[in-house]
Amino acid sequence: MSKPSDLVQGTLDLLILKIVHLQPLHGWAISQRLKHISGDVLQVSDGSLYPALHKLEQQGWIQSEWKPTENNRRAKFYSLTRLGRRHLEREAANWDRISTAISGVMRLTEV
Amino acid sequence: MRLEHWLYTLPLKLRSLFHRNRANAELAEELRDHIDRQTRENLEHGMPPEEARLAALRAFGNPTLIRDQTHAVWSWAWLESAARDVQFAFRRLRKAPGFSTIVVLTLALGIGANTAIFSLVQSILLRSLPVSDPARLYRIGDHSSCCYFHGFQNSDGDVDLFSYDVVRQFQQSSPEFEQLAAVQAGGGSYVMRWGTSPAKDLRTEYVSGNYFTMLGVNAYAGRPLSSSDDVTGAEPVAVLSYSAWQSDFGGNPGVVGSTIYLEQHAFVVAGIAPPGFFGDRISPFPPEMWLPLATEPIMEGSNSIVLQPDTAWLYAIGRVRPGVNLALLQAKLSSVLRNWMTTRAAFTANGGAAIIPRQHVVLSPAGGGIQKIQEQTGTGLRMLMFLSSIVLLIACANIANLMLARTMAQRTEIAVRIGLGATRARIVRQILTESVILSTIGGAVGLAVAFFGSHAMLTLAFPLSPDLPVSARPSSIELAFAFAISILTGLLFAAAPAWVSTGAQPVDATRTVNSSSRDHASIPQRLLLIFQVALSMVLLATAFLATRSLYNLEHQQMGIETADRYTVQIDLKGAGYTPERLPALYRSIQDRFSALPGLTRVSFARYLPLEGNEWGDCVILQGHPTPGPNAHCFSDWDRVSANFLDSVGVPVLRGRGFTPDDENGSTQVVMVNQAFVNRFFPNVDPIGQRFGVADSKYSGAFQIVGVFADFKLTDPRAVVKPLFLRVLGQQYSGYQGPGMDAGETNSLYLNRIVLEFNRPQQDADQLVRSTFAQIDPNIPVNRVTPYPEMVAGRFNQDRLLARLTEAFGILALLLASVGLYGVMSYHAARRTSEIGIRMALGATRSMIASMMLRNAFLQFLVGLAIGIPAAFFASRMMAHLLYQISTSSPLAFIGATGLLGLCALLAALIPAVRAASADPMRALRTE
Repeated sequence: MSKPSDLVQGTLDLLILKIVHLQPLHGWAISQRLKHISGDVLQVSDGSLYPALHKLEQQGWIQSEWKPTENNRRAKFYSLTRLGRRHLEREAANWDRISTAISGVMRLTEV
Repeated sequence: MRLEHWLYTLPLKLRSLFHRNRANAELAEELRDHIDRQTRENLEHGMPPEEARLAALRAFGNPTLIRDQTHAVWSWAWLESAARDVQFAFRRLRKAPGFSTIVVLTLALGIGANTAIFSLVQSILLRSLPVSDPARLYRIGDHSSCCYFHGFQNSDGDVDLFSYDVVRQFQQSSPEFEQLAAVQAGGGSYVMRWGTSPAKDLRTEYVSGNYFTMLGVNAYAGRPLSSSDDVTGAEPVAVLSYSAWQSDFGGNPGVVGSTIYLEQHAFVVAGIAPPGFFGDRISPFPPEMWLPLATEPIMEGSNSIVLQPDTAWLYAIGRVRPGVNLALLQAKLSSVLRNWMTTRAAFTANGGAAIIPRQHVVLSPAGGGIQKIQEQTGTGLRMLMFLSSIVLLIACANIANLMLARTMAQRTEIAVRIGLGATRARIVRQILTESVILSTIGGAVGLAVAFFGSHAMLTLAFPLSPDLPVSARPSSIELAFAFAISILTGLLFAAAPAWVSTGAQPVDATRTVNSSSRDHASIPQRLLLIFQVALSMVLLATAFLATRSLYNLEHQQMGIETADRYTVQIDLKGAGYTPERLPALYRSIQDRFSALPGLTRVSFARYLPLEGNEWGDCVILQGHPTPGPNAHCFSDWDRVSANFLDSVGVPVLRGRGFTPDDENGSTQVVMVNQAFVNRFFPNVDPIGQRFGVADSKYSGAFQIVGVFADFKLTDPRAVVKPLFLRVLGQQYSGYQGPGMDAGETNSLYLNRIVLEFNRPQQDADQLVRSTFAQIDPNIPVNRVTPYPEMVAGRFNQDRLLARLTEAFGILALLLASVGLYGVMSYHAARRTSEIGIRMALGATRSMIASMMLRNAFLQFLVGLAIGIPAAFFASRMMAHLLYQISTSSPLAFIGATGLLGLCALLAALIPAVRAASADPMRALRTE
């Protein structure tokens, strides 16, 4: 499937924000980073990254800019906006809270 | 936060709206870049070039789909898809120019007719007066009686005409009115002279001094009338209408403050009313000058009505203070009226006192002015509105059928699109877009039709009224109306094809178009046809009725001859003639005109038959007491020259006609019509009998010398009323009191002339004017009209109604025939192979044709079964617009059925015969 499920979609947004938070990157580089970080957990096609990127841009969380790259080429680089940074911080905190809670629950069942 | 959000997103939104193409190109480049980079990466890992690219694509997914999904998250995605729908619809419509043209034209006629009639309805029935806060204007009275009344008005006691005395009583007793004004119910005209410019006849209306204050209307130049102008002894002033100022005074600003002469009396022009102000009612002949009521005695002398407190001739219209209880006010005004009546002998005498308690007034909203023209034209306009909306419905049904056939023809295409993943909602949206585009174009063309249509209708209905304050130019309300019905019709005629298209199955695409499989369209198509037949029936029946009624009106026995006769309207009083000088003048006119070649007779009258004016009195037979207030003693009377009856071809039935000697004779001779005899002398020989008018003391005044045949004097629809004629020059000297005497003197002025020629005239107008210039250049010739034209003018509105219903009927017939023909040919085409099989199995051509016809005939019958009762119902609405034809006249219904049947037969026969004459082998091969 090329269209990620809702859960994955939410996660995908968060991951993208986190990745471009470190440095501005173009689409292909982001997808490489995604594969690298998540391994085989995120089973999505490369292309499905783009609707997500454009959506984040429409929401004002990331912005894009065409920059020259190697071999006389150019690529569209995405970077985090101030708005996106705040959103990321909030979401990351949320994520921490929820994952702590969930792993707590998971431990409970193990005992 | 919010602001910052917009800061980031707004440029992007604007870019995706205005630089859609660049954004698209950049997206494509971005995706291509990704695949290129992945390909290079793969190459670096040692894949062969071909394999590297394929692997990159595989990992990426379907690029087209990705692009679409990315597109969808952009702003304005909905707008883009709508724009694409519109583009696509235009492309499809361009590919079918015949279909598009027919639809647009059909709609333009339907919408145009509706908008034109709506614009008349809007500007006549729904419009408010151009005054401040018209909603607070109320009128005391809810009829529009006219013009002078003596005694009790309506048998139910509802009073709507008042004397100035009564209006003053109302003013004093009801502070609920901020202002209460009195306006003349009828209207008059006076000859006006200004400086050296030639004399002109200006229409006037007497109003109370607070008229303009009450309406909240200021002057365009100078000042409006004020209460201090409406006082006996005040300097006489007048306010001109803007259009009169423009046309009769050349827009000269110097006229304000200058002196003009009405008849022989000096008036100062106080001011000019604002442009667009046409008075207190919509009228074909709006006043050109407003005069204070206090000046009426100056103009009319001892004949003045202001001085006669018992003569009602004014409407009362006022501005009510906010929050007033109208029911209480109405009751109070009614009791004021009753109290006043009990003090007046004219109302209490002869048993009148018993009727006074029934007298009352009804308050009616007057924001739209005095509802006179509305009462006259309302039913007709509403009828036309109803009929034109039926035309529109038929047009819609027709177009729906066309659309349906088109949709069916495109079934394969639709099935393929659904098979390729188009949603049904998307297909329906596409069909709706197409229809709304068609109907919008139709609406735009319809607006042009509407403009010319309402212009033509106004000219037809009021041909002699260039000043009619009704404009044919579409207002914003009418534009909105046209737009709204365009959209509505678009949705209406798209409903059926949209519904049918949702039933399309992808598998249909694999079938051939001509297969005779289950036919979704056939039921809606049949229903639409039945609907069309039924509605056409309604229109045709009403068209028959209106046409027949007009024919009856125009070809009835009016009782007068008008061929080769011309009517001339002059103003002798305005020209300054005293009664003593009149006989010599009449003789001189008679002599001059008689000398003209080809002129056979010259006659004079005070009022002409079918001119639209009358004068009457209560007739009292000799020796009888003055009758009570509700007695039917009324008779019209007219003064004519001795040869008048001959000149309009009215025969004398008994006794003798007037002779020239009567004009100088001392016996007061009169002639009466048959209706007069029937009313007042049912069992007695009328010749030699005496009667008088108004009071028993005058009852021996006139002696009957002859009886003439009935003719229509005023209303061509009404039965002939009693009428007596007095002869030119005979003045009754027995009247006592200034009012009666002045009336008698006034009646000596015969301002209408009938000229009879023995051959048609080229330029009668010029001939008459130059002849009068020789007699006395001071006599204003107001109008020269061929007599038949003047009579035809009485039927303008009936003619308009008849012509429009005919036009609607023909349009309906045409649309229904085209619709039937289209559906029949479509069915014949679809059943080609079936017909081939039937014929191969031995069916004859006539069997095939009758099979096809049977089908059409059944729908026609069902349509009739619905249409005839509907037409019956619709014709009841126009009952009182019809003259001497019953609303259920079999003629109309048989005629309409016959005409409709004939057209239906033709429309069905052609495709049926064509189907039957098909070569069976070719028919079978179409599969």
